[in-house]
Amino acid sequence: MALAQQVQLQRDPGARSDIARRVAGSPALQLVGRRLLTAIPVLLGVTFLTFVVMNLIPGNPAQLILGINATPGAIAKLDATLGLNHPFWDRYWLWLDGLLHGNLGISYSNQQSVNSDIAQFLPTTCWLLLYALVVSLFLGVVVAVLAARRPNGIVDRISLAISMLGLSVAPYALALVLIYVFSVRLGWFPTISNSLGNSPLTAIRALTLPAASIGFPLFAVYTRILRADIVEQMQREDYIVTAKAKGVPPWRVLVVHATRNSLFTLITLVALNLGTLIGAAAIIEPIFSLPGIGAELINAININDLPLVEGIVLVFALVTVAGNLLADLMYTVLDPRIRYGRAAS
Amino acid sequence: MPVRFRLMTMRAACVAGAAALVLTAAAACSSGGGSSPSASPSVQTSNSSIKAPPAKEGGSLTVLEGKGFSGDWPLGLDPATNTTGSADQDYYNAVYGQLFELGDNGKLIYDLATGYQFSNGNKTVTIDLRPGVKFSDGSPLTADVVAWNWTRDLESSCTCAAEWQVARTNPKVTTSAPAASVIKVLSPTEIQVNLTVPDGAFINQMFDSIPNWIISETSFNKMGEKAFAQLPVGAGPFIMVSDSYSNQIVMKKNPTYWQAPQGLPYLDNLTFKSVSGDEAAYEAMLAGEGQVYTDMSTPQLLTESEQHFDVLNQLGTSPYDLQLNTAVAPFNNVKAREAIYAMTNFQPILQNIFKNAYPVVEGFTGPGGICYEQKVPGYQGYDPTLAKQLVQESGLNKVTINLGTISSSPVASETTEALAQEWAAFGVKTTLHTYDLNALIQAFTANGGKSWQSMIQTAGAYDPAGGVGVGFRFDSTSPFSGVHDTTLDTILNNAAASSVLSTRCSYYDQAAEYIAKNYYGPFYFSFAPANVSVKGVAGPGLTTPLPAVSVTPAILWEDVYYNPSGS
Repeated sequence: MALAQQVQLQRDPGARSDIARRVAGSPALQLVGRRLLTAIPVLLGVTFLTFVVMNLIPGNPAQLILGINATPGAIAKLDATLGLNHPFWDRYWLWLDGLLHGNLGISYSNQQSVNSDIAQFLPTTCWLLLYALVVSLFLGVVVAVLAARRPNGIVDRISLAISMLGLSVAPYALALVLIYVFSVRLGWFPTISNSLGNSPLTAIRALTLPAASIGFPLFAVYTRILRADIVEQMQREDYIVTAKAKGVPPWRVLVVHATRNSLFTLITLVALNLGTLIGAAAIIEPIFSLPGIGAELINAININDLPLVEGIVLVFALVTVAGNLLADLMYTVLDPRIRYGRAAS
Repeated sequence: MPVRFRLMTMRAACVAGAAALVLTAAAACSSGGGSSPSASPSVQTSNSSIKAPPAKEGGSLTVLEGKGFSGDWPLGLDPATNTTGSADQDYYNAVYGQLFELGDNGKLIYDLATGYQFSNGNKTVTIDLRPGVKFSDGSPLTADVVAWNWTRDLESSCTCAAEWQVARTNPKVTTSAPAASVIKVLSPTEIQVNLTVPDGAFINQMFDSIPNWIISETSFNKMGEKAFAQLPVGAGPFIMVSDSYSNQIVMKKNPTYWQAPQGLPYLDNLTFKSVSGDEAAYEAMLAGEGQVYTDMSTPQLLTESEQHFDVLNQLGTSPYDLQLNTAVAPFNNVKAREAIYAMTNFQPILQNIFKNAYPVVEGFTGPGGICYEQKVPGYQGYDPTLAKQLVQESGLNKVTINLGTISSSPVASETTEALAQEWAAFGVKTTLHTYDLNALIQAFTANGGKSWQSMIQTAGAYDPAGGVGVGFRFDSTSPFSGVHDTTLDTILNNAAASSVLSTRCSYYDQAAEYIAKNYYGPFYFSFAPANVSVKGVAGPGLTTPLPAVSVTPAILWEDVYYNPSGS
């Protein structure tokens, strides 16, 4: 903002309130607000469904925690301690009440606060998924651009072959192959990573194979989708012809113009894939003994640990909602024509 | 597009991609690898040891433990509150030591105790403690501390509680405090337990049960229950350094261990890591990330492991038993039960699935336990002619048998499939079910115990009176038993009451014959998971076989060493 305008603002209270009105009326902020409001029933629905499903699973968590030798008296006592002897609705309202106060309850299996359990395990999963996502996106964009530069050229065909491989192989199968090749035979990476260590290098080493197991199929999808979009832009859009006619260098036409306009589908795909990412983490983390939230979810389901399952599912749902919101906001950054709440000019 | 690229075909592109993969694989295969151990096919299936290198002091060892059993300790390592109980015996033994240890060939080893005496018709047991022993926090291990521990154990509401038959302050509440007369401190190194019924198996029942692991009262009171459970303090060979629940434990040598003047423990550092299962452990060991894996049971991986590591098959003590629920049809009919005996041939199952690794047994004792009797007089073996006749007479070919087992045991799951095929040859249809622990418990207890027909489970322990012993599967009061026969109850109770081994074995022989005579459930083989270790690791349970107390043996970590060079 120019100096004169800043000075004007300092002198004129009316100008400040005008800015406040403009901020409050900002389409982006209104979008965020609307999305947060609609997220509430979504999150409630997800947690309620989870609650119902977990209660439908046969068995008594107290029995499972105490084991096969448990006496009826011991089970009844633990039932009372954990609140399992209350009716379904009472238990759900109790959990909701705790949630509104920021308390996700106490884990049945380890008697620790669910908040602290999630805080302990979530960072590992976050780093893992971030690593997988960033590398798969980066490589996906690079390879897609190179492939689209010469459709049906050698790079395009090689990328197609690699993508087909990535789409065909299941992450858990890929994980085992990667372990055999890069851990057992080459010794480059660890097979199990019970902790991420104390240094970034140790963490990167520990996370590389799990991230590759999750990221390779994603890379395959992103590459093919983006490459197809770019080729379509390059071959069918008038603005590309215009840019070439104006003498814009071919690489600039490809990267700055065509690729940018092709990113919308990719962004949508990334947002939609967040759920898949989380599911992949639940499968991959146990294979590598990573102490993440995905592995913890599997354990919690096996032992009928309802509070921990609810807490983790809630986190997943929040991430998915946030991811979709971020994708929508990214559209406005990429395409100035898109301004929510206002007709495009 | 240049002509040369136009001529490039899809096939060429795929070949190029495949070539890249092949190059990588070739590099991997030709490489010396991380630190893959040299091949050392060494597997023992009998009571013989693996040749061990000379003992060496110092060094570190990483032990891998499988999740779902020993690799989980969600509530920490306080024996009185850890519901996973004796599954975590490796950690308990390392940090607490034991009052009594079970050595090779069933030899009783005195660790923190030095002796015991029975009196009062085997209702009173007096235990002598080793003088001068201190916990790693410096406090002394005395009879008062042991009494405090046992009182706490008896009041515990977890299923890991001691199952002593003792008088309670409130007889109606099984977890109420023991009466004042139950535990008596006779001197700083003498403690006495008074029971309400004779129990000649008392000392054998100590193995793998929580009264055998003594915690420091001083540290417990100072740290509080939760903090203590995370970093417990004992008088064992190792001290806890760090503990990430159900993930990783790091320990170091305890310099105040009572055998430190003798140079024990050998190891400086001991680390336990949880892994997802046999496959993950195998790969981790190939990559040099672990030197020991306990309780491997996957037959295919055991075969693979034999190519690279020392594989020690322990002597089994808990045979697999095909439980038949005598409370419901069709097995409330003795002819139907006898038909099952006659239809079932375990030999081909053992040969084809388990490579004859385990001995066939006809009772609830195994070669690693006491009172082992492989052949039981009157046991009905495989007899196809008799089977056909009995199937017709009992109408087994007109019903569908429900056969279940626990899903976490590949041995049990494969066996159910094999049995179903064998029975199908006689016209008997079977529906197979595998259950996780939760559902298994439900299957046993639902509908007053009348929802299940047949289950494959283990029955027996090192001492049939201890752990998941024979009573667990055959006593009429057990919810997991298919038998409701007070005569059998009496025989089993008599066996547990006597402290004379020959008398006890005589009663167990009677029990085995009684079970066989009434066709209460055929036994097949005595399985024990194997411990796998890299060359250079040695110790009881790793290179010398130990009897499994209930399922797996308790490794004596103070005697374990790692000498990779072998010199």
